[in-house]
Amino acid sequence: MHRYLRFPAMLACFLMAVTCHAATDQPLTTEDALGPQIQQPIEFPHYRHAGNRNPVDPTNSDPTKGGMEINCQYCHTYARRSLTAGIPPLQKCIGCHQNIPTVRDKPRIVELFKYWDAKKAIPWKKVHDLPDFVRFNHERHIKRFIEQQGRPVQEVCGYCHGQVKEMTTARRQKPITMGWCRSCHMKDHVVVVANKDGIPEGGTPLGKQDYWYTFQKPAEKRNAAGELTAKGPNDCWLCHK
Amino acid sequence: MIDSEFDRRDFLKVLGWGGAAVALSGCGNTSIEDGKETIVSYVQAKDYVIPGVAVYFNSTCAQCDAGCSITGKIREGRVLKLEGNPESPINKGRLCGLGQASVQHHYNPDRVREPLLRQGDKGEAISWEKAYGLINEKLSGVKGEEIAFITGDVSGHQKVLLGNYMDSLGSKNHFVYEAAAPAVVRAANLKAYGVEMPRYRIDKAKVVLSFGADFLGTWVSPVHFAQQYAAFRKGVDGQRGVLIQAESKMTLTGANADRWLAVRPGTEGILALGIINALGIATGDVAQLVKDYDKARVSRDTGVEPSHIDKIAAILRLRSPSLVLAGSAAEGYVHGMQNAEAINLLNYVLGNVGKTIESPVSVPFPQLAPSKGNTASLKRLNDDLAAGKYKVLFNIATNPVFTAPASYKFGDSMAKAGFKVAFAHYLDETALQADLVLPLDSEMEDWGTHVPEYLTETAQINIQQPLMERLHANTRGMGDILLALVKQRKPEEYKAFDDYYGYLRGAMLQNKGALGGAEKDDDNFWNDTLSNGIVKLSGPSSALSGKADVAGLKLPAPREADKEYPLRLIASVTSNLRDGRHTNQPWIQESPDPLTTIVWDSWIEMHPKKAAELGIVEGDIVKVTSRTGSISAQVYVFPGIHPEAVSIPIGRGHEAMGRYAKGYGVNPFSIMDSVFESTTGELAMHETNVNIAKTGQRVIVVKDEGPVGGKQMGARIAVSRSTDQVDLSKEV
Ligand code: SF4
Repeated sequence: MHRYLRFPAMLACFLMAVTCHAATDQPLTTEDALGPQIQQPIEFPHYRHAGNRNPVDPTNSDPTKGGMEINCQYCHTYARRSLTAGIPPLQKCIGCHQNIPTVRDKPRIVELFKYWDAKKAIPWKKVHDLPDFVRFNHERHIKRFIEQQGRPVQEVCGYCHGQVKEMTTARRQKPITMGWCRSCHMKDHVVVVANKDGIPEGGTPLGKQDYWYTFQKPAEKRNAAGELTAKGPNDCWLCHK
Repeated sequence: MIDSEFDRRDFLKVLGWGGAAVALSGCGNTSIEDGKETIVSYVQAKDYVIPGVAVYFNSTCAQCDAGCSITGKIREGRVLKLEGNPESPINKGRLCGLGQASVQHHYNPDRVREPLLRQGDKGEAISWEKAYGLINEKLSGVKGEEIAFITGDVSGHQKVLLGNYMDSLGSKNHFVYEAAAPAVVRAANLKAYGVEMPRYRIDKAKVVLSFGADFLGTWVSPVHFAQQYAAFRKGVDGQRGVLIQAESKMTLTGANADRWLAVRPGTEGILALGIINALGIATGDVAQLVKDYDKARVSRDTGVEPSHIDKIAAILRLRSPSLVLAGSAAEGYVHGMQNAEAINLLNYVLGNVGKTIESPVSVPFPQLAPSKGNTASLKRLNDDLAAGKYKVLFNIATNPVFTAPASYKFGDSMAKAGFKVAFAHYLDETALQADLVLPLDSEMEDWGTHVPEYLTETAQINIQQPLMERLHANTRGMGDILLALVKQRKPEEYKAFDDYYGYLRGAMLQNKGALGGAEKDDDNFWNDTLSNGIVKLSGPSSALSGKADVAGLKLPAPREADKEYPLRLIASVTSNLRDGRHTNQPWIQESPDPLTTIVWDSWIEMHPKKAAELGIVEGDIVKVTSRTGSISAQVYVFPGIHPEAVSIPIGRGHEAMGRYAKGYGVNPFSIMDSVFESTTGELAMHETNVNIAKTGQRVIVVKDEGPVGGKQMGARIAVSRSTDQVDLSKEV
């Protein structure tokens, strides 16, 4: 083969390989990539707090079977107000537990009160870590999915954090990589647009935009189901500031 | 066959791309530090604390005496960034580079963290109780007149407390020392206007004629003046203000001027009188005084062309009001006072007094007003120390060993004091000589009140409050230390105050009415005060009382060239470095000098003509020798300097003070002769004469500007090595 053709030929092969790969299914939000099991100072039972109630045990008497369906945001209160979710202050735990004498002598609660009495913070280990050059904004996602679309809280948190309500201490279930983030951002999402009088039919379009702020422009035509779709935000600076 | 014809390079190229793809998908399942980092949550959180969301507190910039108000951005209990507080009439929301860098003062890794007691060459960490006990012990049996204090400008309640402590010791020896303060101009102003610092209205002037006043960079209240300057350039009555700057070494303000005049060093006063003469509107005494200062003579003496003198006179006649400023370049000579007086006279002749020179407001509490001082007081202290007058010396965060001219031998004089206590942030040159070093809180951890010397529209008391918790457990605020010390003497009087915060709050509440809080209850008043960061007061303005006084005004003829030391050394003050107390903040080292763009090093500015005459090019290392000593540094050839002068900025050349200051550049104070201004006794900073000798070495000047810089980057410096391994001096 002529020398000058060699490199383009290889390049073409390479590109083909890449596009073939791209054409196959991208990882979706459902993909699981279990992270390491992380030892925490107190083995906090998420399933007990956030798990589903046991329908046959309405008083929740058996701790191994049912949860209390506490809203994630009751404890993780910062997530809807800040880009970082934060960890609830110790005060939050104590606020409830000082009124629950039935479990006061359980080892984990005893441990908890030791920290409280010493006014020391619990050194939790980070389970979901992002590189320092990535800014993930919790508040924005909660606004979008929970407040504007009214989806269930546990489902929304679960998109990234997995089935925490079934776990004891949290464990990462999703890859949380850029490609994984983009797999959702690049999907066609149904968006709310202004009606023909220019009045938005829900949502919060900004200014004259009739699609979601930072969303990409919606498709020209409605899809078969009559919905208008747009891909999610795609600007580098949204995460890499 | 394709395979056989593959050559290695092509293969690697493709592999490289493939490798990148592998690497990208490879990061697929590795979250960076899952399970490794600890997230510490609050035990009890304040309602307003939300992780990730900043809160803002107002305080005061302590990097210089201008007293700009700051707003600190605090996240998760850490101060991240400072901005100006828009409510302050001084800086109106702006901040200078030096102010921005003060977070690096706070987080500086070289801060002193424990009280240190000298044991031979070493400092032994001791407890505060022991330190206080030691001070008490050393003071016992020592008479008041054997105790001396040296501080920088000090104002507010700290000044009051210091005064009380000194009273309790019976000491009256308070030496206030600021190396780069405009002391001579203050004295000349006092004579001419009846106040040390009138309120200058650059914004009202149509022409500003500045004799070396670097009001945009370093002079008095640069952030404030920069805003006035913006208004001045926009123009009064549609006339854009014209700035004329006359000085021997170009300053940042000079670089912004419409006309920059290189004056022969020391002849600023002659030029001022020459301009009065050319104006031709003076009468009486003044006319008599200037009659000999005709254009030809003035031009000969100052080096300013006659046509320029005409033009300046013409524009000053045409546009009124104007404003004439006497700056540090004019005051640094034996006849500095005369220079400044001649310049102030010009304001009278032009009728500016009362128009662009207004009477200043003053704070209604004189006990809080700043104590000011300059090199004359350091000289007195030095003489006293050398004479062995003091047994105990307290040094509150000043560094005279670094900024006193070498000829003072301040270090030796200081050694004669029996017991030397340094309250310090760093082990700087002076703290290293102390017997006891007590670590101070940074200004972002401490309480305080400040009254700026230069007030603007209203009188104000600036509040300084902690922006975050102490970084180091064993540093203390200066106010707390003074309170503890004064309690040793007068336990009864001060026992009501647990700490300086309590003292401050009590003192402010006591005067609530006068501080504008008559209607508020105590808590409201105090909370408002803290959240505003400023207490604005309607102070009385002290009327201008001076007059155009020509008695005793006599300017010497320009100096004859010294055969042995033909050049003048101008130790310049630059907007980044000022007097060198902040050189250990890396942003300060790193931000290019506004005129030369040089970083991390000293330089010697030299006029191209002089350089050609001596056969010197940029980057030559030359030895600058004065009667006192010599230093070597790189030459920067620069047209913005008078050919008879060379200039070295002050602030670099530290021999201590931590990793970012020590060993960078040279210190011109180390070759400065002890020559004094004849009226005020201040150090004449521009009176040192030097000669220059090549050393034969040449380096690449590390700077931002110019084609040479580009060439250095591309062609000359070894690109194959990482920057920390490149020795620029070897890369020529
Ligand atoms: S001029 Fe700059 S350093 Fe001085 S107080 Fe203002 S901001 Fe701070």
